[in-house]
Amino acid sequence: MTYQRTPTQDTLRYQWNVNVIGKPALRLNRWLAQLRQPKPSPYLAPPLNITPRTKELIARHYLEGRYANLHRKVAWVTSGAPAEILKALNFYVLYPENHAALCGAARTVVDIATEAENAGYSRDLCSYARTDIGALLSGKTPVGKLPKPDLLMACTNICQTVLFWYQAVAHHFRIPLILIDTPFVYTTASDQAINYVWRQLDAAVPIAERVAGDFLSSRKLEQVTRLSKLAAELWMQIIERGKHRPAPISVFDQFIHMAPIVEMRGEAYTVDFYAALLKEVEQRIAKGISAVKQERKRLLWDNLPIWYRLRFIAEKLGAHGVALVVSTYTNAWAELAPMFDPKNPMASGARTYLHAILNRGTGYKLAMMQKMIADYQLDGAILHSDRSCKPYSIGQMDQRDRLLRESGVPALLLEADHGDPRAFAEEQVANRLEAFVEMLGE
Amino acid sequence: MSKIEALGIDVGSTTVKLVGVDAQGNLAWSHIEPAEPRIEDQVTQFLDRARAENNLDESVPLVATGYGRGLVMQATRKVTEITCHARGIYRELGHGGTLVDIGGQDSKVIAITSKGDVIDFAMNDKCAAGTGRFLEHAAQRMRVPLEQIGPVALSTTAEVVISSTCTVFAESEVISLIAHGASPESILRGLHRSLIKRIVAMIRTVGLVSPLMLSGGVAQNKAIRKMLEEETQTPVMLPKHPQLMGAYGAALMGLKQDLSGF
Amino acid sequence: METPVIPHRLEIIHAHKAHGGWVAAVLPIHYPRALFRAFDILPVEVWGPPRIDPTLGSAHLQPYVCSIVRNALAYLLDGRLNVADFIVVPHTCDSLQGFASILIDFVKPTQPVLPIYLPRGKRLSDLIFLTDEFKALYRTLAELTHREPSPADLMAAIEREEQADDLLAQLHHGRRNLALSQTDLYRLIRSREYLPAETFVEIAGAVVQSARSLPPPNDIPIMLSGIVPEPLTLFDALTQLNAYVAADDFAACGRRLYERGSRADPFERMAERILLAPPDSTRGSSMQDRLDHLTTLAQTTGARGIVFYDVKFCEPELFYLPVLREGLQRANLPSVVIEFDLNDGLTQQTQTRLEAFIEMIGGTQ
Repeated sequence: MTYQRTPTQDTLRYQWNVNVIGKPALRLNRWLAQLRQPKPSPYLAPPLNITPRTKELIARHYLEGRYANLHRKVAWVTSGAPAEILKALNFYVLYPENHAALCGAARTVVDIATEAENAGYSRDLCSYARTDIGALLSGKTPVGKLPKPDLLMACTNICQTVLFWYQAVAHHFRIPLILIDTPFVYTTASDQAINYVWRQLDAAVPIAERVAGDFLSSRKLEQVTRLSKLAAELWMQIIERGKHRPAPISVFDQFIHMAPIVEMRGEAYTVDFYAALLKEVEQRIAKGISAVKQERKRLLWDNLPIWYRLRFIAEKLGAHGVALVVSTYTNAWAELAPMFDPKNPMASGARTYLHAILNRGTGYKLAMMQKMIADYQLDGAILHSDRSCKPYSIGQMDQRDRLLRESGVPALLLEADHGDPRAFAEEQVANRLEAFVEMLGE
Repeated sequence: MSKIEALGIDVGSTTVKLVGVDAQGNLAWSHIEPAEPRIEDQVTQFLDRARAENNLDESVPLVATGYGRGLVMQATRKVTEITCHARGIYRELGHGGTLVDIGGQDSKVIAITSKGDVIDFAMNDKCAAGTGRFLEHAAQRMRVPLEQIGPVALSTTAEVVISSTCTVFAESEVISLIAHGASPESILRGLHRSLIKRIVAMIRTVGLVSPLMLSGGVAQNKAIRKMLEEETQTPVMLPKHPQLMGAYGAALMGLKQDLSGF
Repeated sequence: METPVIPHRLEIIHAHKAHGGWVAAVLPIHYPRALFRAFDILPVEVWGPPRIDPTLGSAHLQPYVCSIVRNALAYLLDGRLNVADFIVVPHTCDSLQGFASILIDFVKPTQPVLPIYLPRGKRLSDLIFLTDEFKALYRTLAELTHREPSPADLMAAIEREEQADDLLAQLHHGRRNLALSQTDLYRLIRSREYLPAETFVEIAGAVVQSARSLPPPNDIPIMLSGIVPEPLTLFDALTQLNAYVAADDFAACGRRLYERGSRADPFERMAERILLAPPDSTRGSSMQDRLDHLTTLAQTTGARGIVFYDVKFCEPELFYLPVLREGLQRANLPSVVIEFDLNDGLTQQTQTRLEAFIEMIGGTQ
């Protein structure tokens, strides 16, 4: 006998698993975590009080994802994609890059990426891509289960890598891929580039509508865009609090608490979350709590995090009173906020998505780093030369040179990979960090 | 001793192997010596000696394989080690499967059909991480003789994780492990594991067809065989003379060629 | 077999400059040749070049950047591109994007650097954008050269390129009947990278004219895919192995068999020709399009296997390999992947892989 599930039963199953069982369990988990005393570090401030809530948000996001196929359409999108359109069409939106970062932090990348490598994906390919392709080929993931996509959306404003990666996923699932191609902005964005992106955004709507089986409501889109903008503005304020000496939070804290701004934009609870985080950061300033207990030197971080060694590097630097205060990477989800116009989401979106930092010239990134060095009173910079991210990394050798010569601050080029620990030489990194700290002086 | 009807020579990066087969294709005679820088002279002397020892005249066909096959001027034919290893092992073990040959320069995984044909093969990419060179470097670092590294690795159950498979990175990792007091046994075990994982990735790209077979010099390393079995959950079969399989396959081809009147 | 006489790159460059023309050094892969020629700018392509000392490039680029881009930068920094009046960088991949950006922001060569963005689709929006991009390029060139070629001038230049591309296609498709060695065939095909269209038409025309029906060969037909066939001795090695390249899917060669355009507007026509070229990883073609193209190409030319001959670190190419190889295998077309570095020449490793593959598909047992 075959048993056919009906849509109503699916929705019930979703409600039961997610809302009746899952969410209360996660809430309980958070309360318990709040009672626990984290292991104190001799050099670093204790984790932010909001941390259990961050974990709950992320867990809830993946819990919803786990059962999403039962009652919603699912879209997989790149981190710089105009996901607001999909949110407004009630898609469950999954960010494979975030998932891969999570695998990095959970140290499961080698196991999962090997599945992709065994299928013929070269180790010279981006480790995010290998991790996600490995996860879809093998079903392995630390979050339980990823929902199958009904639609893909890739925006090339972060790299060309996503274009090929999503072509492979589209081929695997035989589903439509919406491509938003954003011509690289070497100096200034051309009119034809802005028009091109706008046209593609317009053309994306009917494709997404067809998959969603619903029409896009401009009111809903405006609302989602407004929520996105609000969250991004709060995120920007949180980052800017780093200008305070000593810095209340570090770049490592930002790495941990950035997940919602990437993968939960356009939600009211994300705005609430960042409002609460901002409040806590301000309380820290008032109480004189600093991320690094004896802040002596302040640095900039360029490029993606080394997800599997966050703590290691934070402790290494913290032991010498060195704080990572600001990064070009976490800033990427803040800097575009002012460009968004919720009243005019398509036209402002076209301009906004073109101006992502990874879609702009190497000189622009240098200028941004130099401005940060002045605004945040920094003593130096660490440039993570990331094997897995060519567009972010190419240019760093010249940027490092200019920081040294033009801004007069030392800069370290640190070779590693954002996801794959097999491209990380711990002793070498430790040694370089120590030599660099010595170079920064007393 | 039966009459030698064909010769096979395998000029590898570390050793030169010579094999003679009789009319039925049985391995009748063999000799191994370390490769010298002047390969051409070495090969000439080697062949002269072999021919004298076995009373062979110039008409006995000679097939050359291995990296230096191009330097064997006397060869009647030159064939790659991929085809030769497959041919040799098929004749020796009598069945198809997946053949792994971990060489000094190159590692290969070869898919062999039940009829003995090569249907697919994979080789390491440009980097030397998946080759025997990886272990050689490490052995030198740890001051363990090359032929001892397998037993040493198996002498412990403790195993450190070597995450880097890049030969250069791994070396720096080994140095730091030594500095942190990890035992040489556990480091060597970790290095073997790292190499095997790289090989398993190549096996998966070709697709594993049981049984696994090992040939080449590294096959004598017991740790390789054991860990390959652990990682693939598949039995690994070894020919009697794994190191000679390339030369043996070459000699067999000399025979076949003669019989088919090429 | 007679080797056709092809003028050397430098000869052509000096001849073009002698009559007052300009030269543009152009990086891979797709760009509007006719547009440059209409301004009397001769495009001369820079694919690396191979076998040079890449050290100067390594001062600006990390070790995981491919040798095509690294060599190009080293070549430029060594003053070897001084003969060029312009440097043109099509947006082919993240590495060339970084290359152009470094030139504009940091290296600042004496010549103007002209990036061209190539859209990653075949939609109407892509055609409109690329047309506008070429119009913008026209305005930039007009400013730099103080010339303003008319639409008729542009169409005449396009016609010359289309004629040259027709002949190029005939060389590709009629290769079995040409009295050329494989190496000479590819030397001729690749001369399109620097010869003016009209010179290419003269030389290739004569070769095509002398084509005659040849007896069926007893070699092993194969197909090559990748970015660029380097070094050309690769074809000598294949000939020695009794293998014949029946078709190719190289970005430098087979992926640039542009068909004649259909549109009357010169800018649209130039854009259309590039967008409708054979599937190409760097233009973001779908996996299925590339698979279908390779399968059909192999079947129509009788190729028995495919060699993916790729430059180390080439991300666009690497991403497609698993799907392509699996699909080809299903169509009974075995394949092998060989990675190389432009500065290595034809290595022993490469030769062994080629030889083993030919033994496998040729049935050496």
